[in-house]
Amino acid sequence: MDNSGKEKEAMQLMAEADKKVKSSGSFLGGMFGGNHKVEDACEMYARAANMFKMAKNWSAAGNAFCQAARLHMQMQNKLDSATSFVDAGNAYKKADPQEAINCLNAAIDIYTDMGRFTIAAKHHMTIAEIYESELVDIEKAIAHFEQAADYYKGEESNSSANKCLLKVGSYSAQLEQYPKAIEIFEQVAGSTMDNPLLKYNAKEYFWKAALCHFIVDELNAKLAIEKYEGMFPAFSDSRECKLLKKLLEAHEEQNSEAFTEAVKEFDSISRLDQWQTTMLLRIKKTIQGDGGDLK
Amino acid sequence: MSAYPNSHNPFADDDEEEESRSFPKRGFNFDDDPEESSMSPAERRQKQLQREVMRTAQSAVDSSFRSLGHIYESEKIGAETAEELVRQGEALKRTERMIDNMEQDMRTSQRHINTIKSVWGGMVNYFKGKPEPAKPAEKEQPPAYQGNSRLQNALAESKEQEDKYQASHPNLRRLDTSGKVLTVNYMVPSKWHICFGASAAPDNTLSDHNGLPKNKQLRNAHQQLDRNLDEMCVGLDRLKNLGLGLQAEIDDQDVSLDSLLNKVDSMDGKISSTNRQLKNLK
Repeated sequence: MDNSGKEKEAMQLMAEADKKVKSSGSFLGGMFGGNHKVEDACEMYARAANMFKMAKNWSAAGNAFCQAARLHMQMQNKLDSATSFVDAGNAYKKADPQEAINCLNAAIDIYTDMGRFTIAAKHHMTIAEIYESELVDIEKAIAHFEQAADYYKGEESNSSANKCLLKVGSYSAQLEQYPKAIEIFEQVAGSTMDNPLLKYNAKEYFWKAALCHFIVDELNAKLAIEKYEGMFPAFSDSRECKLLKKLLEAHEEQNSEAFTEAVKEFDSISRLDQWQTTMLLRIKKTIQGDGGDLK
Repeated sequence: MSAYPNSHNPFADDDEEEESRSFPKRGFNFDDDPEESSMSPAERRQKQLQREVMRTAQSAVDSSFRSLGHIYESEKIGAETAEELVRQGEALKRTERMIDNMEQDMRTSQRHINTIKSVWGGMVNYFKGKPEPAKPAEKEQPPAYQGNSRLQNALAESKEQEDKYQASHPNLRRLDTSGKVLTVNYMVPSKWHICFGASAAPDNTLSDHNGLPKNKQLRNAHQQLDRNLDEMCVGLDRLKNLGLGLQAEIDDQDVSLDSLLNKVDSMDGKISSTNRQLKNLK
């Protein structure tokens, strides 16, 4: 009840704001404090948008925020414009992901123009997450995560950059872009292995890189494992390394049962996640592919 | 003895159950059943005890596998937390830098307001001189954020402690040399000797064979248990270091949060006073 009342109010405000903008466009309006009117109109759009949000009419809210943002641009208030675009993006997220992405892209352009790369990177991540979950376009998601990582690197926020890079790596590997994935994982592992707090995860990244090597070619994997053990001695103690060696043996002997057995044993102590399971299945297929199609 | 298992207290009657079930299944070699009926009560009792020992050992092994799993999971969670923490620390440092920037800007605007307010104010400004230039190097190229390095010390310390501990631990002297098939006494010295190893080694080889039961199955179970305990030892060590590192990092961030709070508060005051001045200017 309350909400529908809010919606009507919001619509009224929108109409008023529209009128104000039109009137300021006319000659006389422009003469006598057109700017003042435009500012008022902006505020009214914002208020209307908030009321739409209360009424859960997300697309109308997004629309109102967009209008406000455009008006701010007119008045050269870049910062306000960018914030309004972001608000619009958030509102559209729930209704129309594509529009949300458009708004966020506009906001990012403004931020990069002003040199605020950190916040632009954050929004790139948001867009990438939308592509990840709602629009499911992995290629574009990768592109945005990469962009975000670059910006973060530029601002020396290495941890945030690593977070984005890891996502790029996982998705690239899923899309079978193995050399890229390998490079990313090795890079991240190399940079974290010296940090006393982050080194506990370094073995995880080496393990992922080695898996990708394995899918490409077994010999690569062997060389890679030796290299990693040299770089990071603690890797050789880890259970992941031991599993890799067992898998290599099983692969050499083309023994898919030993392969499955080793994987099961590892899984019984620490569960393998979806991504790792997919990679392991691909490796297993290469064994079966060579050994015959009985299974 | 009936072939139906007793329904009350399943744990107590397990052995009787097995024995009673063993009668109908003559062909089953599992427990040497054909011989059982001809064994003396003492031997039967021994068999019973052996089975019970096997079961206890097996459940100990299973439980150690589960514990190992939990330890690895905790480590994973801890590592991810560590990453989040470092990221947060970076964000805090960024915020602090921005607040410093803001302060700089506020000072400049204050000067401008002074100039606008009055001619006298402008002259005062001239004499006060320019506001201090940007704070040292960190504005130019913000240093990469380093996590806390106290961990290195913690690592070195704990290694030292291990050596001292090994020399003084009473368990290393008291080694179980009895030939009895007991699980508890046996577990403790072997765990320590595998974990801390060096000085106890020569004594142990002899007692090892006496301490280990002759039954191969049982020996395997115990060896597996030892291996798992070994891994758990190492894993727990890592967890401890991880925990210490996390704590140090959190302490650091605490300090910087406090200073940030102060700065933001003073910034807030400055902004509101500037706003008031601006309003008065109109």
